[in-house]
Amino acid sequence: MSNSVISVISRFLEEYTTKTSNKLKVVDAYLFYILLTGALQFLYCLLVGTFPFNSFLAGFISCVGAFILGVCLRIQINPDNKGDFLTISQERAFADFLLAHTVLHLVVINFIG
Amino acid sequence: MCNGCVFCLVLLTVALGAQALTPSHHLSLSDVDRLKGLLSQPFTDLASAYYSIVGLSKLGASVDACQFLKAQLDPMSVDSLFFAAEASQAIADCEMPVFNETRDILLAAVSEDSTVTQIFRAVSALSSLGLPLASQEVVAALVARIAKEDNVLAITTALQTATRLSQQAELGGILEEIEDLAARLDDLGGVYLQFEEGLEATALFVTAAYTLSDHADTEPPLKEDQVIQLVNSVFSKKSWDSRSEAFSVACAAAALSSNRFHVPVIVSTQGPATVSHSQPILHLLVTDILSNPLASANLLVESAQAVASKSVVLSQAPFSLRNGIFELNFMASQPASGYYQFTVAVTGDSRLVANQVELKVKVSTEVAVTNMDLSVVDKDQSIGTKTSRVDYPFKAKGSFTADSHQNFAMNFQLVDANTGVELTPHQTFVRFHNQKTGQEVVFVAEPDSKNLYKFELDTAERKSEFDSMSGTYVLHLIVGDATLENPILWNVADVVLKFLDEEAPAAIQSKTLYMPKPDIQHLFREPEKKPPTVVSNTFTALVLSPFLLLLILWFKLGANISNFSLSPSSVLFHVGHACMLGLMYVYWTHLNMFQTLKYLAIIGSLTFLAGNRMLAQKAVKRYGQSSTLTFFTRSTCEN
Repeated sequence: MSNSVISVISRFLEEYTTKTSNKLKVVDAYLFYILLTGALQFLYCLLVGTFPFNSFLAGFISCVGAFILGVCLRIQINPDNKGDFLTISQERAFADFLLAHTVLHLVVINFIG
Repeated sequence: MCNGCVFCLVLLTVALGAQALTPSHHLSLSDVDRLKGLLSQPFTDLASAYYSIVGLSKLGASVDACQFLKAQLDPMSVDSLFFAAEASQAIADCEMPVFNETRDILLAAVSEDSTVTQIFRAVSALSSLGLPLASQEVVAALVARIAKEDNVLAITTALQTATRLSQQAELGGILEEIEDLAARLDDLGGVYLQFEEGLEATALFVTAAYTLSDHADTEPPLKEDQVIQLVNSVFSKKSWDSRSEAFSVACAAAALSSNRFHVPVIVSTQGPATVSHSQPILHLLVTDILSNPLASANLLVESAQAVASKSVVLSQAPFSLRNGIFELNFMASQPASGYYQFTVAVTGDSRLVANQVELKVKVSTEVAVTNMDLSVVDKDQSIGTKTSRVDYPFKAKGSFTADSHQNFAMNFQLVDANTGVELTPHQTFVRFHNQKTGQEVVFVAEPDSKNLYKFELDTAERKSEFDSMSGTYVLHLIVGDATLENPILWNVADVVLKFLDEEAPAAIQSKTLYMPKPDIQHLFREPEKKPPTVVSNTFTALVLSPFLLLLILWFKLGANISNFSLSPSSVLFHVGHACMLGLMYVYWTHLNMFQTLKYLAIIGSLTFLAGNRMLAQKAVKRYGQSSTLTFFTRSTCEN
């Protein structure tokens, strides 16, 4: 059982490192960073408590929102998905990413207190 | 005056309702003196001289300032001529010099082009100086001016002007203005009637209306209630702001006390309206509004009704006049003590207004306590009662003892000292006072159906009022009433009360009720518990550490900015984007949402335009590259 899991994981990692383009890996690194930040915030909340609750929510939602927008960007600039996004060029995807982030930051800063 | 028509008038007034309005304000003698004092202040110009001299003459005083008037006169000015001429009329043997030009100047002022005030002053000066004038022309000018100047003061001045014209002139149109003006008066609560322009305008209107009515021999179209309301408005103010205001009040007072149609009468008591056996006579004063006694008046009590029992004690009794004061011996009708509602009527002059007045008269008497019996009664009535009689104002010889098995009882009667009739005054209290502890307990003694007062103290039942403090209590009887001339505070006896279950610190209780209570300290909301700074700092560092990891990963992946084109739009885009992120930080520290949105709109639109251009250039470059690549691929393939 564990054998198959390990083999699946190692196969996945091998395919990932060879098949994915550099551009996507850059975005993936960014996504990983966001994920870690969010997880650490959640860990703090579990351990120490939710004292400035609004600040915790602001930070956590910022991570979650950024992650989602990053995932959207990744989907839209992946050349394999070009067929699904005929009207959206890579530049357009990036511009949408920036605009959505502006709105997200506005909301987060408003809530951070 | 025919008694028949007077009687009819009285009946009519009664029939119209006993609730007729009576004046609530008039000028008492001290008010008249104060008015004269204000008018007697020294004057330095002709206008003040006019107000003072004419005003004082209306009140019956005279000022000799003839030389002053002659010195100050300016024969070229209509106003100056008016003031001097009018004032000189009020002084005996004072004549103003008349020049040739005087008549021309004054006549020139009488035209449709001058204001009503100018016309009035010219006409008055002409008539005071004895110069001829054409009344019909004046009437025409006045009618024309009234149509143009439709305010209260102008029309009042026009009315005043008409009083100086010949009686043959057609004054009918101007007389009608009195009624129109009266319709403009404001009714305040049914008590006051005045112009919104103020006291002076109302007083001048009253003067003008009555002077003109006398001159034209026509009754003014004012109803009795309106006249009384006007009296209330004009005479409610007892200190006047200016000489002209005092002058207007003096003129109104003179007009209302001596015109041919309506004379308001004031009926007032001399001193408090109280009669008793020692002072059996009720004194009333009947005056006009200047507090001058009315010469030909007769006073009659229409009815005197007891307030409590509503029985009529006196009816149709005349007052007798002695030294200007009306007197009636009310005690001769032997009224019981209490309050009586008098309705009096003033007769003798058909001009009298508000001549039916209601007064409240008090009859007071002296009280005597009789048959005061004190006794200590056993509760089970087994042992006979010990009754002692005490006479006022002496104190009972021995003290009375009552313990929890006994009741202390008191019986007495209150009678009118003069007539022997039983009384029930408002206040009959029995007071126990403990000399040692300072306690005071007061009970009410109540009369039974035969007007016999009984008071019984049940020692066991009432111990809470006494706080169960046994001891000697001094007993007082307190009797009082508004109609009693001799209220009673009588130390009747000493009573020793014995209570069971004595509780010691009883006396202090009442004292602590009024001492300051203990302070309440305000507890502010406690701030929430925060984790120690070390913990939060550690976690801050921890949360920021993935950024380092990101930079390392990007470096390893070979992400670089070698493709960075230094075109102006891309520089602008990056600068704008950095500004937006900086704005976020400033928003967190300083700004509010509205300000942020404002700045964001500016920076954002710039960034958007720059970014759009930059990305378009990039796209072109990318498509250009890929198309060149295709071209090369095709070309090599073709080869």
